[in-house]
Amino acid sequence: MIVAVNFCLSSSIPSWTILSHSDRRNTSQRAAVSRTINAESNSLVLQSSRRRCVCYDMHKEVIPFSEAWSWQKSIVEERKTWIDSNEDGSDALIVLQHQPVYTLGTASTENNLNFDIKDPPLPLYQTERGGEVTYHGPGQLVMYPIMNLRYQKMDLHWYLRALEEVVIRVLFSTFGLTASRVEGLTGVWVGDKKLAAIGIRVSRWLTYHGLALNVSTDLSPFNGIIPCGIRDRGVGSIKELLIGCDEPYSKFSYDGDDGKLIDIAHDSLVKEFCEVFQVELCHQPASILRFPNRKH
Amino acid sequence: MASRLWASKAASYLKISTFNRGFASVVKDLKYADSHEWVKVEGNSATVGITDHAQDHLGDVVYVELPDVGATVTQGSSFGAVESVKATSDINCPVSGKVIEVNQKLTSSPGLVNGSPYEKGWIIKLEMSDTNEVNSLMDSERYSKFCEEEDKH
Repeated sequence: MIVAVNFCLSSSIPSWTILSHSDRRNTSQRAAVSRTINAESNSLVLQSSRRRCVCYDMHKEVIPFSEAWSWQKSIVEERKTWIDSNEDGSDALIVLQHQPVYTLGTASTENNLNFDIKDPPLPLYQTERGGEVTYHGPGQLVMYPIMNLRYQKMDLHWYLRALEEVVIRVLFSTFGLTASRVEGLTGVWVGDKKLAAIGIRVSRWLTYHGLALNVSTDLSPFNGIIPCGIRDRGVGSIKELLIGCDEPYSKFSYDGDDGKLIDIAHDSLVKEFCEVFQVELCHQPASILRFPNRKH
Repeated sequence: MASRLWASKAASYLKISTFNRGFASVVKDLKYADSHEWVKVEGNSATVGITDHAQDHLGDVVYVELPDVGATVTQGSSFGAVESVKATSDINCPVSGKVIEVNQKLTSSPGLVNGSPYEKGWIIKLEMSDTNEVNSLMDSERYSKFCEEEDKH
């Protein structure tokens, strides 16, 4: 049983404002939270009680959207059968890059497309996730956590804020970029540029779909859409911000190696994911997803 | 269990828990599923929607995915979805049957689910295939207690 959780980081991280999700319910709680995390002092306390999360790490691969989509759905179906037979299992995480594609969410409208929906310039998928249209492509790290929220918190808003938290921490701790949330606009922002888009589906408290972080993405395909339906803000990437900054970032120096940038961003994403959701990753080969009927 | 305790502590530390009103409203003569749908049984017909507790936790509903009229639904399985804040969630059917009517108004006014979850925000009407299934559902009092227990986690 965890009695008290004290955190402190080796390098300090800034406080940020975490906003409650609904003014309609008169919850204008604004908490400036200053947190520091001590991995060492907590690892012994937390490790034994961390939930297991199977990780299919394909972060260096560029996977067709349809393939990853069907992997997610089969993982979700499998976990539903575990729930039906009262078996506890693990959560799952898929990390990858996608081939260029546009995807729509359940409420997406054609108004946010700058092309004829019948003749899209890239493959276009109507998915069952929330949120508006977005672009996925090489240079963008995509995370698909399949989490059973009964083991976290049965609160979709909490889950979305937690996904944002993962990215906010990555951007600051690894790249020295100060990112923020914008109330009412789910995602992670640096200034008025969105670096990470988020859209999820929940079925019996099992989540899927997830987040996409622009690392070294070619952002020009975003011109084909009104990303996430937001007209007066733009899209950015880590690479663009690192190149464009005037002051040298003491934390990170971009040397032009995009592959290395992806690796570093990936390592940080996975680490912060484990911290925010308090899970312990168990790596499994991608062949399990690709060849489910084969004996592994 | 320990990770849920951590999640609650982290949520309250970060003050990102959604504010839960003391009592979301329940309507007495309805029956309730533990996935927060309500059903109103009239003879062989049933009207289904999501509860005040559910809409309160979801926030503003921006989209409701409706099934086709004539579709078969089974107790406990998904028949549609509601989207709010970039999260689309399944709606599960409290009883089995055949869909005879869907609330088309929700296509242009999904907010009816928030404003009037038990009346104008109804989602589907169906012809029940097994009226005994209602016996496995909760009444308003049990459902209220269920919500209180769930909100503690």
